[in-house]
Amino acid sequence: MGAQDRARLMMGARLLSALLPVTCGLLGVLISNLPVTLFGGLVPPPLLGFIPIYFWCLVRPDLMTPAVAFAIGILQDVMSGGPPGIWTLSFVVAYAVIQRQRDAFAGLAGVAAVLGFATAALIVCATAYFTTAVYYWHMSPLGPIVGELAITVLFYIPGAFVIGSLHRQLVGPLRSDF
Amino acid sequence: MSNNSWKIARRSNAQLPLVIVLALAVVLVLLGKAQSGLFDRARMRITDWMAPTLESVHAPIQAFNRWVASADELFVVYRENLELKDENARLKQWRNVAVVMQDRVRHYQQMLHAVPDPDINSVLARVIGRASRPFLQTMILDAGESRAVKPGEAVVDSRGMIGRIYLAGDHTSWVILLTDLNSRIPVTIASADGKTATLQAIMTGDNTAMPLLDTLQQVVTLHAGDQVVSSGDGGLLPPGLAIGTVVGDGDTARVALLADPASSEDVEVLGFRKPAEVLPATTQNQLPAVAAGLPPAAPPQPAPAPAAAPAKPGTPLPQMPRPAGNVSAQAQVPGPVPGGNE
Repeated sequence: MGAQDRARLMMGARLLSALLPVTCGLLGVLISNLPVTLFGGLVPPPLLGFIPIYFWCLVRPDLMTPAVAFAIGILQDVMSGGPPGIWTLSFVVAYAVIQRQRDAFAGLAGVAAVLGFATAALIVCATAYFTTAVYYWHMSPLGPIVGELAITVLFYIPGAFVIGSLHRQLVGPLRSDF
Repeated sequence: MSNNSWKIARRSNAQLPLVIVLALAVVLVLLGKAQSGLFDRARMRITDWMAPTLESVHAPIQAFNRWVASADELFVVYRENLELKDENARLKQWRNVAVVMQDRVRHYQQMLHAVPDPDINSVLARVIGRASRPFLQTMILDAGESRAVKPGEAVVDSRGMIGRIYLAGDHTSWVILLTDLNSRIPVTIASADGKTATLQAIMTGDNTAMPLLDTLQQVVTLHAGDQVVSSGDGGLLPPGLAIGTVVGDGDTARVALLADPASSEDVEVLGFRKPAEVLPATTQNQLPAVAAGLPPAAPPQPAPAPAAAPAKPGTPLPQMPRPAGNVSAQAQVPGPVPGGNE
């Protein structure tokens, strides 16, 4: 393999690793916003798009920039059908908090790591709830948003496992060469 | 020193995009408030694009939901069967009453030459998707603008009204449910015993299973079991669509909906357009005065050359020239006299 081929391969790998977080985020939004309800609509959809934001904001913030969080939030707004901008603002606010407390969040392990994600998801849901309350000037019932928070935290455990595997397989080794 | 300044510079570089993105997000919310249909076109494009997948995915998921729902129904099926038989017998009696009443109403309408109800075009559609999110409760239908479905039209199933069309794409449409936070429907409340007069109210969704009733009058008495139907005010929805019954909830009144959006499979989209009111032609023979048996008014006389000074307030108006011919006693009834209330 010549030097030119190797450089081309490295460039492709760099692009792939840069696109992986945003692709995972957008894919998570698409999956969680499929207009399909299980259990008669009793189980709200999880915020799958937020799991990659949280994960890569801690692990590789250079791959999960505020602009990427913004783009994932916009797709969440488009797909969820709610008032425009609510989820975008919530994701970006949570991103800001995670970025400021990055050392505290990144140092957690095991159950504490799940609780750390639950805190970040709580910021997302609380921001969305209060922004919507101001938007409509009406406090909507807490039940659905609490259910969404709970199901999102529940999905974080397998979600973090999948994303962690992808990161180790694709992003980690590739970026380590640079 | 130099190391410290590098850190500050790096920090400011890293924070700047976040501040900009945060500001953009706030602007997006404000923009969305000003123009709520900001993402509508994108939403409909994506939904149209996903429609074939949704249709194929919908059947197995529906079967799964039915299976889950039927698991706990097995335990109450015997008792429920007895209750249904009893209810069926009572409904048959009510059906007979309704048929007799319908005939009587038709007869009265013929006698009174009542204006017939406007025609309603309906489009049968299948539910291909549902979404129950914290801030939006919706369902997706497999009919769009290609089948003349338009935003604002009522969506009903065999039991009653479910919601209204919110967005209409080419082949799909989104329905905003009556329970959704954005739903507001003008309704009429008819008392169950038929003894008290009907009331007008606004039914507002608040993301709970039973929407709120906001009566326009200050003091009203609502009874549990009162019937709630669409009033047709505003001309968007046909009047008389069955919606639900009143239930008390502390100080507030709510509506227990007849339809169950979670289980509806086939629905009807009612294309209701109130026909524009046709004004009578203004020919002389059809003037109200002629219709009342009075002679037609004389054409206006040209005004005298010098313009009269404007009348002071309280001054009696000058007498108008009377038309020739006999004036009936009814026509001589004096009008309101200026200053007559003194």
